[in-house]
Amino acid sequence: MNVTQNWLKTYIDFDFSPDELAERLTMLGIEVESVKQLGAALEGVLIGKVDSIRPHPNADKLVLCQVNIGETNALQIVCGAPNVYEGMFAPVATIGTALPTGIIIKRAKLRGEESHGMLCSEKELGISDEAAGLMELSSDLSIGSPLTEALGLDDVIFELEITPNRPDCLSMIGVAREIRAETGNDLKLPQVDLQESEANVQGITSVTIDAPELCPRYAARIIQGVKVGESPAWLKQRLESIGVGVINNIVDITNFVLMEYGQPLHAFDYHKLTENRIVVRRAAENEQIKTLDEEEHNLTPDMLVIADAEKPVALAGIMGGYDSEITETTCDVLLESANFQPSSVRATAKKLGIHTEASYRFERGADPEAVIPALDRAAQLIAELAGGTLCEGVIDVYPGRREPLQIQLRAERVNFILGTTLETSEIEQILSRLGFDVEASQSEENIYQITVPSFRGDITREIDLIEEIARVHGYDNIPTALPKGDIPIPAPNISAEVHRRIRHFLLGSGMMESVNYSFCHPNCFDKIRLAADNPLRNTLKLRNPLSPEMSVLRTTLLPSLLENAQHNHNHQIDNIALFELSTVFIQGAEPARVAGILAGEIGEGVYGNPYRSPDFFDIKGAVEGILDICGTTDYVFKKTEDSTFHPGRNAEVLLENRRIGILGEAHPKVLESYELPYKAYLFELDLEALADAADFSKRFEPIPIYPSVLRDLAIVVDQEMQSDMPIEIIYSTGGKLVESVRLFDVYVGDQVPENKKSLAYTITYHSATETLTDKAVNDLHNKVVKRLNQELGAELRM
Amino acid sequence: MKTELEAIQAEALEALKDVNSLDTLESLRIAYFGRKGKLTDVMKGMGQLSNEERPIIGKLGNEVRAALTEAFEAAKNALESQQQEQQLEAESIDITLPGRKPAYGKAHPVMQTLERIEAIFMQMGFQVVTGPEVETEHYNFDALNTPSDHPARDLHDTFYLTDGHLLRTHNSPVQIRAMENQKPPVRIIVPGKAYRVDYDVSHTPMFHQVEGLLVDRHVPFSELKGVLVSFARQMFGDQTQMRFRPHFFPFTEPSAEMDISCTVCLGKGCRSCGHTGWIEILGAGAVDPEVFRAVNYDPEEVTGFAFGMGVERIANLQFRIPDIRTFYENDLRFLHQF
Repeated sequence: MNVTQNWLKTYIDFDFSPDELAERLTMLGIEVESVKQLGAALEGVLIGKVDSIRPHPNADKLVLCQVNIGETNALQIVCGAPNVYEGMFAPVATIGTALPTGIIIKRAKLRGEESHGMLCSEKELGISDEAAGLMELSSDLSIGSPLTEALGLDDVIFELEITPNRPDCLSMIGVAREIRAETGNDLKLPQVDLQESEANVQGITSVTIDAPELCPRYAARIIQGVKVGESPAWLKQRLESIGVGVINNIVDITNFVLMEYGQPLHAFDYHKLTENRIVVRRAAENEQIKTLDEEEHNLTPDMLVIADAEKPVALAGIMGGYDSEITETTCDVLLESANFQPSSVRATAKKLGIHTEASYRFERGADPEAVIPALDRAAQLIAELAGGTLCEGVIDVYPGRREPLQIQLRAERVNFILGTTLETSEIEQILSRLGFDVEASQSEENIYQITVPSFRGDITREIDLIEEIARVHGYDNIPTALPKGDIPIPAPNISAEVHRRIRHFLLGSGMMESVNYSFCHPNCFDKIRLAADNPLRNTLKLRNPLSPEMSVLRTTLLPSLLENAQHNHNHQIDNIALFELSTVFIQGAEPARVAGILAGEIGEGVYGNPYRSPDFFDIKGAVEGILDICGTTDYVFKKTEDSTFHPGRNAEVLLENRRIGILGEAHPKVLESYELPYKAYLFELDLEALADAADFSKRFEPIPIYPSVLRDLAIVVDQEMQSDMPIEIIYSTGGKLVESVRLFDVYVGDQVPENKKSLAYTITYHSATETLTDKAVNDLHNKVVKRLNQELGAELRM
Repeated sequence: MKTELEAIQAEALEALKDVNSLDTLESLRIAYFGRKGKLTDVMKGMGQLSNEERPIIGKLGNEVRAALTEAFEAAKNALESQQQEQQLEAESIDITLPGRKPAYGKAHPVMQTLERIEAIFMQMGFQVVTGPEVETEHYNFDALNTPSDHPARDLHDTFYLTDGHLLRTHNSPVQIRAMENQKPPVRIIVPGKAYRVDYDVSHTPMFHQVEGLLVDRHVPFSELKGVLVSFARQMFGDQTQMRFRPHFFPFTEPSAEMDISCTVCLGKGCRSCGHTGWIEILGAGAVDPEVFRAVNYDPEEVTGFAFGMGVERIANLQFRIPDIRTFYENDLRFLHQF
């Protein structure tokens, strides 16, 4: 909401500079988002009077004007405007003025004649597009005074952010009340002195409230014989200064009083109301209304309408009806000032998609006690400015009248909650200035009975009063202290530790951390070729997604990483090594996952560290590293069937016989879907399962004292044999004497028979209790070779 | 023989001066010390000397041998050093060739910021707690004193799921869950993702928050200020100015927003801070008694405060990324910058 300095000053005195006022209001909780000096661009433009005109000796279209700007000597100004005449009042841009158009006024010679300034058109001043001639000013203005002052442009506009709990601040008087809390100065409320005619309103109209639960109060007055027309300049200027459009005097007055009191008003054309009366009721099923904006709306019985004897004539608290609006022919006006139930206005406005200044205030809660002052104020202004006569009396139906709320306040509690040492006198003063009635308890010390003013519907509890005291006292004046309470002892959190370790391992391994939206496009499951019955397709769906790309919650991290790869490839970045740690969403649970992708090129692509394509074993190594870092040992990789992956290059990870994830080369069709021209390797693991199996306990093992003996072993086996089968046999043969087995070469080619391959291992033999003799090692090694031959048909490669 | 020995010594020392390789040195050594060497030859004549002469000449012979041996050794050492120097010179490399960096990844910039925030609060004894992102109206709104017809719900453009759940609009539901599961004192932070229907240069539909909660028998507003001032000092530096402004949140009372002096203009006022010199970094407040009632805490027995901040916003005070949606494109050129 916008307020202006001059307008505020009609209700309260203050001498803060604009910046100071902005600071004070902000620190009271009314955030000032901008401060704008209205006429800032017109500094240096003065009111001038053209004293005399004579022809320019060297130019037919120019004249020489002597312009009085209140100084001893008149200025000579060369002018070419067709409408200039002797005695004309016009704006003068003096030397040095920078006009909004960018022109800077300098002393100049025009065709040999000096010119000491410029007489301006409205366009040159940026006031309007009028460029035909000079801007003509009223001759009662004071010569030499700044144009901004004369035009009411010497004002400052404050753009305020009012929090939803403070509807009382959605008005000039409301903001003035906040300034009163700062200054203690009295409010200067509009003086209303009604001149009523003999005709009593009771005989002219009536108001019936059929739905009192939605309309706590409805008041009306009648003004007869008005002349609808243009509003006076001051009124237009007020409204325009805060960005409210000008319509006609009647509507402008209702808008003006709305901004003044925060009380929405509506003016009906009395003669367009069937039977000239008002019924406040729920809409009938399928009833319709055409609102002021000429939109047709279908109504339902949960919506409150203002009706005449027949039909709805306004959406209560939201917008008036088109058929009963004030027009140039309106003669008699029925002026409404009412209070409506907030949630009903809110629901109706939301349902119909109409949001107005009125609905904004009623939704948040208007002050029922402002109904009559605002009505009277508007009635008086209409009578004054539109020349009507005000009928005697007011119709005021007030089924929702409530006693003012009283709250008990403990002064000690104030200091207990805030950590302050406020005196009771300070507390009393703050609350009084905010308009609360403060009464000390007779029986108990430092206990107060606080009566809440009707405009503060947000204050219902002691804590609300404490907040009021805090904000007026100033948050910056509350001391700063560190917590004195005990620090609770946290429970160990294995999941967090697993998460942390894996993340650091992957970062250390050279993969970049990626963070993706939790949303995905449902077609991503097709792109990664999930079977139609794959449970990962069972997503949670958004009711109000931003776009199809963000319409379901992801059940796997793999599509996001493939999209990241695609994005990067499209931007010519092809060394893709990314991982993500995140929860995914399956029905009823949010398990955490870790996933990664390697694609394109790894390495730096520099001399000495050339790019190379990643392969299955890079991604497998990453997964093995994760398993190791979690302290798990009981895991195996097993080929599986998964349509996302190359059928011959994938594995599921079984940890303690439980499937915890998958890895492998993306299926060529998946690569095609993501338009990747190279292979991509992926993994995804369940973090919860890793946390379950994780073992971070460590125990010292003695450093071997006896030397190890290394033996290399190359065997020729069938090509499809898995490389871990010999290893199992080596371990089971050697028992405790085999410390490790390392596969160091795989060979297929001319040196071995067709359909065979050679596997080369280094076996480390070691005993914890003695130095192994050559003979002992040889015997054992031979036993190994023999078993490999017997069980796997492995031949020693010579 | 004496003159012969002296001549050999002089001759050998003279010859050594011209030696410039280990090979010629070895030939020269053989020429004097070899089986048919000059010195060996002379010494062979020892047997023909008289008993008086023998010890004298013998002694001289040994002296000459020792002197020459030493001279040969010195020459050898000099030549070896020289040769090594030459070799080292030949081995010289172009040190401007690229180093072979061990691969290392970088944490996502939002996660880097999140980690820093977590670390600061953990030092102050806050425990990290997490909770579900798919929530109920109850935990996201109702238990936080935001009933369905409350205008404050307009502040949160909520993503709803077709099954009636919603995506949490803030991490506050976890505070409720934590209080339901534990008795005071509670001192937690809740890092994680939250969601709002918003998508422009300064908003992403998913974002990260760190919320905090401290509940104990007596936690005055002054302690809220103390913890957050302490946080801001560590996060933004000692020079940072701070202020607390009253604000409104349904779940805190009194409520506040905290500003720090603009990190771009240092408080002088610029476009980044809307010419105010201040930048809002978080919302906070004393826990509303209604929230305590919702978790069966007695608001007369306990007090506390809560706060919440947007991690992207804090990250961007440092990084100054013009469009924060860039965070979630995961463009490697972007990720490598941080």
